[in-house]
Amino acid sequence: MQPADARTGNIYDLGYRNYTGKRLGRRHAVLALYFYTLRGAFGLGRRTSSKIIPIVIAVIAFLPAVAQLAIAALVSDEVDIITPEGYFGFVEVPIALFCAAIAPEITGRDMRQRTLSLYFSRALQRRDYALAKLAAFATALTLLTLMPQVLLVFGNGLATNDVTGYISDNWADVPGTFAAGLLIAVLCAAGSLAIASQTPRRAYATVGVVAWFLISFPIANILVFAIGGVGRYAVFASPFDFIYGCTLWIFGVGAEFESVQEEAGFGLWTYFVAVLAYIGAGAALVVRRFARVSA
Amino acid sequence: MIDPTILRLTVRQLLGQRRSIVMVLFALLPVLLAVLYALENDSSDAQEWTAKVALGGLVIGLVLPFTALVFGTAALGQEFEDGTAVYLLAKPIPRATIVFSKLVVAWAATTAVVVVSAALTGAIGLSGEPGEGIIAGFVAAAVVGSLVYCAAFLWLSIATSRALIVGLLYVFIWQGVVVSLFSGVRYFSISQYALGIAKAFITAPDEIFDPRLNVAPAVLFAVLVTVGATWLSVRALQRWEIGEAT
Amino acid sequence: MTQESPAVEVDHVSRWYGNIVAVNDISFALNGGITGLLGPNGAGKSTLLHMLAGFLRPSAGGVRVLGEPAWQNPAMYRRIGLVQERESVYPFLSGYEFVLDSARLHHIAEPEKAALKAIHMVELESAMSRATGGYSKGMKQRIKIAAALVHEPQVLLLDEPFNGADPRQRLQLMDMLRAMAKEGRTVVFSSHILEEVERLADDVLVIVAGRLAASGDFHEIRKLMTDRPHSFFLRASDNRRLAASLVADASVYGVELAGDDLRVSTSEFASFTQAVAGVARRAGVSIYEIRPTDESLESVFSYLVKR
Repeated sequence: MQPADARTGNIYDLGYRNYTGKRLGRRHAVLALYFYTLRGAFGLGRRTSSKIIPIVIAVIAFLPAVAQLAIAALVSDEVDIITPEGYFGFVEVPIALFCAAIAPEITGRDMRQRTLSLYFSRALQRRDYALAKLAAFATALTLLTLMPQVLLVFGNGLATNDVTGYISDNWADVPGTFAAGLLIAVLCAAGSLAIASQTPRRAYATVGVVAWFLISFPIANILVFAIGGVGRYAVFASPFDFIYGCTLWIFGVGAEFESVQEEAGFGLWTYFVAVLAYIGAGAALVVRRFARVSA
Repeated sequence: MIDPTILRLTVRQLLGQRRSIVMVLFALLPVLLAVLYALENDSSDAQEWTAKVALGGLVIGLVLPFTALVFGTAALGQEFEDGTAVYLLAKPIPRATIVFSKLVVAWAATTAVVVVSAALTGAIGLSGEPGEGIIAGFVAAAVVGSLVYCAAFLWLSIATSRALIVGLLYVFIWQGVVVSLFSGVRYFSISQYALGIAKAFITAPDEIFDPRLNVAPAVLFAVLVTVGATWLSVRALQRWEIGEAT
Repeated sequence: MTQESPAVEVDHVSRWYGNIVAVNDISFALNGGITGLLGPNGAGKSTLLHMLAGFLRPSAGGVRVLGEPAWQNPAMYRRIGLVQERESVYPFLSGYEFVLDSARLHHIAEPEKAALKAIHMVELESAMSRATGGYSKGMKQRIKIAAALVHEPQVLLLDEPFNGADPRQRLQLMDMLRAMAKEGRTVVFSSHILEEVERLADDVLVIVAGRLAASGDFHEIRKLMTDRPHSFFLRASDNRRLAASLVADASVYGVELAGDDLRVSTSEFASFTQAVAGVARRAGVSIYEIRPTDESLESVFSYLVKR
């Protein structure tokens, strides 16, 4: 560079070059966004204070499995507090709070910081953005819905005196466990992102997700037990209730005595249909939102 | 101790938006359920349902903490998030005055919502059954509980940037799961203080309503937590440092 | 008021965030007039201003404003005003209400009068009854300034005040700040734009990478940096041969051989740094080390000439 001379005009060649290499394209962009979002869900690559909340909640979600293993190891492996179909009941609150804490981060950050336009001016399309975010969040949630059960299966297997016996007794539960875990993760991701993506404000998004999971639950209980009649349909508005019903259906287990599912009296397959419907509607809402949001 | 300008600003901040409408609708949910209940059921167990399920469970267990969480964390927390807190803090006002003024508004907003919810739910749920102090008890619980919760959540909003999530963890994991599993920690549950205070007004037998804390410890802990959280808030605000703009 | 103490006194102040040092051992004292904090983005200007305003605790050292400590001292705000960089306002308040509330929070005797006066100073009367949420960037900036000087502070701190202002507003703002300085007030503003500081500030503090790189009268600094002889230490494979070649270069006026080191004096910093590599190559000498003898001034210089 020549020294600056105020009297004459100069344009300096600063050595900027055009990129002539291979462009990796849309698929690569989607994958990059997917992995970036997945890491971000647990605060990886962010400062320490963003890691605390997701990790604390994830640890809470593992506590029931750890407690069960401790009992099996120390007391007796005959005590089976946690059944594969019942595990969701123990972790539903942490999962809901994970969604409430993280979903607003997944969709809200780019809206708040006005970085959406940077994404949409690249090979990535608006629909790709929405679906990559959704897929990443669902993957993050499987850590909470599936991993504790995997831990439980391994731990229980190691704790028994008869490993082959344990395997032959329990292998039948494996496909159901995986199906239920994945389905729950996708449902929670679709539902909470559908809510959270509607607002850039973190507080509103969090309150919305909490309302969907945690406020609907006691209200649905009252509607089913104390009111009855048309009120029974409230189970389909409370994620905890229809998710549990769907899990029971997957494992082919009947509704427990005096449970909401028994009191409501619907066939368990209807909960499976409800889960699918929510996933479809949630995903559609997320895609629609990002198709319309001003970037 | 309390600054009228901050009061007015905070009222407009908290109530000038859709937020207050949503909170009122939310507080009316138990009322709606009480109406449905009164229509569907004969009155044989109306007292027990109203005290235990509708008021004790829904209003004190859910509507109260959630409303307090929304107003308590927003009263000052929203100013931090929006970057307007500096306009209050760069004034020669004692930090205690800022905390008290914010707390008063959050408390008043929460109380207004929860008391209406409790009174209407109680009146409709009982529908002619002898009240035996149930409504008065839960209105008192709502007033005191709002103050304790708001004081605690106001402190959270100064001490952490994720006050809403930490508050939700407290309400749903600590109070919802841990306290119900381990009875010994009931002394650290604000909802239990509120229920204990409700009992002071209620003459109905224990089968109808029997909180896990007696009146004396409930009042004592309510006072301790309120004073403690407020003191911590003042201290945290005195030491508050501006963050990098997010 | 203790008249003897300087309006702003910064004594060996450092501030770090974890492992990152934002402000590194800065000391200075200011009295009336306009002082510009000049430095590139991320140099630590905002951190320093926030410490002056009592919104950051110095990790080491002390900050005193009008003789009082700045940290944990709300009473100080009676006499200082702060305009922060973030363009946040209460969107539901009108411009007038916003300034009026500021006046009320200062417990001024006639808040309405003071508010109108402050709004007049920033020439925002026409928009004062509109909600600030709908203001443009420049209007928000001006209403923030009005709110900060409604109590006629002795010290006014402004963080990047000219961001978002159009050229006309910029001139008007500069006039206003000059008028305030003429009344004996102390105005401190930060900017990363040389031209703004050059036009407005009586004194300048140049901050580069958290350190105070230069201070004093702007033109003096400029002169110091361009006119003064610069000197460099060099180590090369053949000092003597390189020295001989360098003497031939027009930008060099002195060469000194001192043991293993070669000391070169030059009148033109830029052309010397341009030339030295070529001279060495032509002479067939490898340079092992080259470093300016006065790093802090060089960093100021490189900042000022690069812009």
